[in-house]
Amino acid sequence: MTIALARAAIVAALVIGWEIAARFVSPLLAAPPSVVLPALAGVLTLEAFPDLPRHLLVTAREIAIAYALAVSAGLTSGFALGLYRTLGRAYGPILAALYAVPAVVWYPSLMLFFGLDSASKIAFGFLLGFFPITLAVLAGIRQVSGHLLTVARAFGAGPLTTFVKVMIPAMLFTLAGGLRTGLALTVVGVIVGEILGSRAGIGSLINHAYGLFRTADYIALVIVTLLLVVASDAVASLVEHRARRWSE
Amino acid sequence: MAAPVLIAVEHVSKRYQTRSGAVDALADVSLAVDEGAFFTLIGPSGCGKSTLLAMIGGLAAPDAGRVLVAGAPVTRPDPTRVATVFQDPGLFPWRTALENVEFGLELRGMARGERRRIATELLGPLGLRPFAEKYPRELSGGMRQRVAIARALALDTKIVLMDEPFGALDEQTRVLMGEWLLEIWRRTRKTVIFVTHSLQEAVALSTRVAVMTARPGRIKMVLDLPYEYPRAIEAPEIVALRAKLWGEIREESLRAIAEST
Repeated sequence: MTIALARAAIVAALVIGWEIAARFVSPLLAAPPSVVLPALAGVLTLEAFPDLPRHLLVTAREIAIAYALAVSAGLTSGFALGLYRTLGRAYGPILAALYAVPAVVWYPSLMLFFGLDSASKIAFGFLLGFFPITLAVLAGIRQVSGHLLTVARAFGAGPLTTFVKVMIPAMLFTLAGGLRTGLALTVVGVIVGEILGSRAGIGSLINHAYGLFRTADYIALVIVTLLLVVASDAVASLVEHRARRWSE
Repeated sequence: MAAPVLIAVEHVSKRYQTRSGAVDALADVSLAVDEGAFFTLIGPSGCGKSTLLAMIGGLAAPDAGRVLVAGAPVTRPDPTRVATVFQDPGLFPWRTALENVEFGLELRGMARGERRRIATELLGPLGLRPFAEKYPRELSGGMRQRVAIARALALDTKIVLMDEPFGALDEQTRVLMGEWLLEIWRRTRKTVIFVTHSLQEAVALSTRVAVMTARPGRIKMVLDLPYEYPRAIEAPEIVALRAKLWGEIREESLRAIAEST
């Protein structure tokens, strides 16, 4: 209860602060909530952007494909590097070095290579989602107690049984955390990619509104994006909590 | 009187490579364990007791010599013949007590209903029935170790290996667990190989005790304990036995301490 109140209080304070601040600035550069709310209504009723659903669908599709690729590649490379020592020692450091490079520097070359359409957004979303998943698998594997593996062996478990019945459950919590982070970053990658240059998707609408100084519409679109991201993260967090309850 | 030899350890040696060079864990160890025996291995820390047990369980391979169970050389873990209890219970934290006990049966491919029935039956006499649905983190150290023992007993093997199973427990719990284990052993007539640091456990439980030397581990002496159970710790022959064992182990422990410092 107290927490909910505190949360409501800070949101209210921010909105009021925003309203006051925005009134002192040119309406071209900043729109106060009293202007954004009607704009948001216009966006949601599809008056402002009649083809909003199509753009959202494009974005959702890009995210889904990028995430599916990031999960499969991330799990594969994570388990390959974590379970095979030689591979891990050969390629682990390269992976860590690549992860340290701010990923956005790759985006121009992705656009040149994959073009302005969906493919470059998918590639960028994949790139951002891939690393946290791989690293979570590696961290999860390190977490598995060697003693539990010995116990499994003593009870007759072969490599496959050990993997399914011991390793996966033991690392599940870390793995779920990595998958959640991976999803969040894939979403970021796709939307940033769209904003930086695209012909379709929510990011392209944001860029369009922003370029035309339709500031209120621009903010309304950002809010829509925010809601979608929060919703997808809420689903992921639910999955993560179940994993935690199960594995702790 | 003479029961057949079930486990034979023949001239076994083991050397570990560590960063500071090679360490001889075991040197030319030979043992024979009769069927139905409660065979205790006792010796100073680091004398290779656990290594020896791991070899009998098929979890480690000797560098020289061989280990035979029922006449056949041990090459890998065989949960149809040998069950192991470790010092760290090693319960799976995501499984309930009952599901932990079922683990070995599940690996055998036993049907869910049947393995559940067997596991539930085992938990009863261990005083764990009310805790069947609890997770390991909700259990005390003694209870966890009882679950681990139940998990081993569920395999219903002829041989049970126990590597300091009560080593992490407090003295009182330890004594009670010992009494409880003795009762199970007398009822089931399994062959138990028991590793311990505790003289008290050794004299209270064993039919035979092997004292090991400081590293590299060798068998220093083997003692028969043909006494009735339950044994009164203050009985003169038990007191004398304990003193004799302590004399042997003290010397080895002093050597072990001298070498490690």
